[in-house]
Amino acid sequence: MKGSRAWLSTVLGVVVAGAYLVPVYWMVVTSLKEPGDIFATPPRLLPAPATLGAYTGSVLGSPGVLRGLANSTIIGLATTLVTLALALPAAYGLARFRIRFANAVLLLFLVAQMIPAINVALPMFVIFSRLDMVNTYAGLVLANCSLALPLAVTVLRPYFLTVPGEVVEAARVDGCGHWSAFWRVALPVSVPGMVTVAVVSFLGAWGEFVFALSLTTREEMQPVSVVLAGLTNAFGTRWNDVMAVSAVVALPIFLAFLFLQRFVVGGLTAGATKG
Amino acid sequence: MKPSRARAGRPSVPPVAYAFVLPAVLFMVATVLYPLAFTVDLSFRDVGLREIVAGGGEFAGLANYRAELGGAEFRSALWTSMVYTVVSVALSFAAGLALAVFLNHRFPGRGLLRSALLVAWVLPSVVSANIWRWLLDGTYGLLNAALRGLGLLDADVFWLVQPATALASVIVATVWSTAPFAMILLLAGLQSIPGPVHEAATIDGAGPWQRFSRITLPLLRPVSVTVLLLLFVTTFKTFDTIYLMTRGGPGDATTILPIHAYLEAFSFFRFGTGAAATTIMLLIPLALSLFYFRALRREEVA
Repeated sequence: MKGSRAWLSTVLGVVVAGAYLVPVYWMVVTSLKEPGDIFATPPRLLPAPATLGAYTGSVLGSPGVLRGLANSTIIGLATTLVTLALALPAAYGLARFRIRFANAVLLLFLVAQMIPAINVALPMFVIFSRLDMVNTYAGLVLANCSLALPLAVTVLRPYFLTVPGEVVEAARVDGCGHWSAFWRVALPVSVPGMVTVAVVSFLGAWGEFVFALSLTTREEMQPVSVVLAGLTNAFGTRWNDVMAVSAVVALPIFLAFLFLQRFVVGGLTAGATKG
Repeated sequence: MKPSRARAGRPSVPPVAYAFVLPAVLFMVATVLYPLAFTVDLSFRDVGLREIVAGGGEFAGLANYRAELGGAEFRSALWTSMVYTVVSVALSFAAGLALAVFLNHRFPGRGLLRSALLVAWVLPSVVSANIWRWLLDGTYGLLNAALRGLGLLDADVFWLVQPATALASVIVATVWSTAPFAMILLLAGLQSIPGPVHEAATIDGAGPWQRFSRITLPLLRPVSVTVLLLLFVTTFKTFDTIYLMTRGGPGDATTILPIHAYLEAFSFFRFGTGAAATTIMLLIPLALSLFYFRALRREEVA
């Protein structure tokens, strides 16, 4: 009796999740259709025949999309590195020492996560215009790090809190300085946190749109999120192409989610629930 | 003065401690606090296309604020923002709670379904906004085809072209992305309610609805407040979904505050009034995050 009710829940669950994910299914199906097939009425629920034409044509065959993907990769990797370099010592410092103004610092990180991106993008455009930093990787990396850094500190600080102070002290007695105690004793403990931060920072920059839109005016500097947005502006949108590019943009997120789900979900909800 | 050795293993603060924290703090000051202060300065000036690069801009006093607060566009955007945010948050919370309650039962494949639903949340908003535009397409969209198939529709509905349906559409797209986020936080909250509480209530003769409304909901209150607050803040600052689905249109039907500020600055090159708009708009998330921060500190102390 109980067993069959549990299975009934499974069936219901599959129906609910299936209905919920229709949009994702529709993206994939549309991306595999032939151009003429998109305008079939009623729409076909399966691509017949399925083709990778949209992928070979408007992803691999489009210099603009490829450049967007390259730009996003560069910006994402640089954002990840800078974020880790700044967040690791900061999270350690906040966890290990009772520094003054620690509350103010944590508040700064919290508020930074809550303000609308346009509030920073607007002045940044003016500041970067004067510094000649519009349309530069450096500008976009700085902007993306301002989003990634607070989350990174939030994720990493609890790891360093688990390192007993005595262990660090013992290392110091053995002749380690503060930096090498951090480097040799505390850092290894935080490796899962570092993976989370790396994944979340990269994916955050990869999908970021407001800064990407505001801080680039030249096409060759646009990240793929802006390139993708541009594809739908044209009259008579070729939706199979748009969905193929969308699927490629979503791919790293799907992969990370599939193989590193623990880190991704843990990281994002940690940022949401802890100060 | 407090004793310097407050906790075992936490020695008095050596100066090097600040060296660990300082780079990140300086970075945040430079990339967030300075731009925010800079915006306040901009908001008191007359800044057009020329002044963006050249600098300066005539001091305009409160003129930008007066123009914004007195203008129909800002008021309309504020109203649209509130409707959009409140309705989205309410629906997202309700859907998230329903899903969380459902997933709180043990059944085969539960973990997998939980993960599957989270896909909607982790999808980049540029991607999901595009998908929604395509689903809602008036002529070839899947939604109209489905409604036609069910006999609910005999003429094409251009969802994103009519004011009322456009606002409803961006709300649906938003809720689709945020409900799984509410679900995962609420599910964690539900799982922290001990099973015996429910069992005791069942023995005392409480039905499922009574158990839900008298036990689950009250015990879930602290988590619910956090979820509602986070949903509000994230929804209030939405930009991508609306910009990509409607550009704030038709007319200004879906122009919420971030879209209004963006258009003011980047489409009309009125950076002064755009800065004033963002500065006023900032007050809402700022007040909420202070409230949230105090609640978190209290939790940590308790």
